[in-house]
Amino acid sequence: MRPLVRWAVMSCFILAFAGDVNGRSVPISHEYGRVIIRNFSDQAGMAPVWFDHWLHRARYTCRLCHVDIGFAMEANATKIKADTNTKGFYCGACHNGTRVYGRKEIFPSCSLSSTPEESARCNRCHSVGKNVQKEYDYASFTEKLPKQNLSDLVDWEAAEATGLIRPIDFLPGVSIQRPPLNVQKDFSIASKGFWMPDIIFSHKKHALWNGCELCHPDIFPSVKKGTAKYSMLEISSEQYCGLCHDHVAFPLTDCQKCHSKPVRR
Amino acid sequence: MKMFAMITAILVAGEWLFMSMPVAQSDVFHLSKTAQAQESWRREFEDICSKTQDAMGFSTEELRGLVVRCDALKPLIEKLDEPQRKVTLRRLQMCRDIYAFVLETKENK
Amino acid sequence: MKKVFLIAVLVLGTAGIIIAQPGVKKKRPLPYDYGKVVMNNYSEKAGLSPVVFDHWLHRSKFTCRLCHVDIAFAMKTGGTYVKASDNMNGYYCGTCHNGKLFFQGRTIFESCSKKFPPDDVKRCDRCHSLGKNVKREYDFAKFTERFPKERFGNGINWEKAEADGLIKPVYFLEGVSIPRKSLSVQKDFALSPKLEGMPEIIFSHKKHTVWNGCELCHPEIFVGVKKGSTKYSMVEIFEGKYCGVCHGTVAFPLLDCQRCHTKPVQS
Repeated sequence: MRPLVRWAVMSCFILAFAGDVNGRSVPISHEYGRVIIRNFSDQAGMAPVWFDHWLHRARYTCRLCHVDIGFAMEANATKIKADTNTKGFYCGACHNGTRVYGRKEIFPSCSLSSTPEESARCNRCHSVGKNVQKEYDYASFTEKLPKQNLSDLVDWEAAEATGLIRPIDFLPGVSIQRPPLNVQKDFSIASKGFWMPDIIFSHKKHALWNGCELCHPDIFPSVKKGTAKYSMLEISSEQYCGLCHDHVAFPLTDCQKCHSKPVRR
Repeated sequence: MKMFAMITAILVAGEWLFMSMPVAQSDVFHLSKTAQAQESWRREFEDICSKTQDAMGFSTEELRGLVVRCDALKPLIEKLDEPQRKVTLRRLQMCRDIYAFVLETKENK
Repeated sequence: MKKVFLIAVLVLGTAGIIIAQPGVKKKRPLPYDYGKVVMNNYSEKAGLSPVVFDHWLHRSKFTCRLCHVDIAFAMKTGGTYVKASDNMNGYYCGTCHNGKLFFQGRTIFESCSKKFPPDDVKRCDRCHSLGKNVKREYDFAKFTERFPKERFGNGINWEKAEADGLIKPVYFLEGVSIPRKSLSVQKDFALSPKLEGMPEIIFSHKKHTVWNGCELCHPEIFVGVKKGSTKYSMVEIFEGKYCGVCHGTVAFPLLDCQRCHTKPVQS
């Protein structure tokens, strides 16, 4: 191959994976799903917010936060302010000092006054760069939960199937119950690479955590299979499946979770 | 007597002069026509466009008649000052369009 | 030369795939932000901040038809081209915002004017408020506290709010609206979804005409009167056409599938 052509092909691959800073290695489990939120923290003289998905996803469905509460699916896209939290939106929907999880009161998020106790509480979330002792530790919390192949990442699907976690899908005062829609059938997607098994997509498994609205119509606009044209290139660039998988849901390094002709049970 | 006659003559002359002031009289007449014209286009507009919700119940002749009336009214509205012209033209358009498309549907049945 | 060109196209094309962003999730606006319209045809040129118009307050007090048919506001952001002179002459915003109209126990503030008393210069900011920290007269949470709640959009079931008598939207403005008889309403009808397994859509003409009349939708949005004559699918609706003209911007959003896809009509 001519050097120029070789260089061009390589550049294409580099560009295609440009969004992926970590590269294609197995992620560090307790860091996986971490989101740093810093829209307004710096201006407010506070440390950016450190949000770990693993604790929340053990307790609540994706749908509850990303559909009912309305969090965006991209870091820093929600534009949360202290003001909106105190009014009961976003983090403040639960972190308001009155909601409980089980028997435990959920700590309030932002407040407009700044007593020393309240300032210390700010650090529970605004903790980037600070040596804050988190209430829950990944290793001990996930000790008994089933893990993904060859990693310390939690297999959330198996955890739910075995009843070890029971994610909440309804928040009184925020969620509104609907009669459920029929879950669409599973279907196969032909792999473009002849060396890869076909993908079996399970609507049932996705709808359990996400409902319909999380993916449709924004991420997958068409309801007809085959209308949205995408490949692994787009998926690796955080579009379509890649919006969740590789950030919070199981990473793309685990090819056989999707590329499996018989659906993995 | 002479004084009386002189005063009467002045009054009669004055009245004659006043009555024969064609410019003033035609100005009043002209303004009244404009005001009437304004009132008439508005009356016509309100009459045509007050029936839109009954469009489905009209016959094709009635609908055709309403469309023709809209088209006849449009040049009068074009002469209005802005922004009355812009707003009224838009309202007339919406009202004409609904009659036209109900007519089209009935004709294509 | 040809090779270099081809390679450049290849590299840039790949970059383009990353820059263009389909397959991502749009951020859902907060309830009080839903229906917000920013108008900036002339504001910045006139040295003012663009206008921020919140639909929720006006829709609780007036029908859609009053503003979009009788007052002739466009259905698209920036489509009306409102000028200060239009307002001062009593059109568009100035139809009501004229400092004279008495409504619900108060005089509606005047929108634009050439002269301002010294204590009233800030009046412009009530509307020309983009980027400014303007305190609104009505607070969304307090105003809608007792309204029946629904999912998404404003989080309010406007239809039920009206049915329960909590809001009484005005449909007639003296001197602007044309006096007319009451509406003869078309029947409700069912639409079959293209996707198997989705519940049928029951379209209620009655619910729509109460707020919109006929002219708002016909013929500009729905060209065919006869059911089935206009061919469209969810693809066009998601693009903001047909049902998507309103549902997605001001009326309840398309995210809430079951509001339309419900075999027995929601009452």
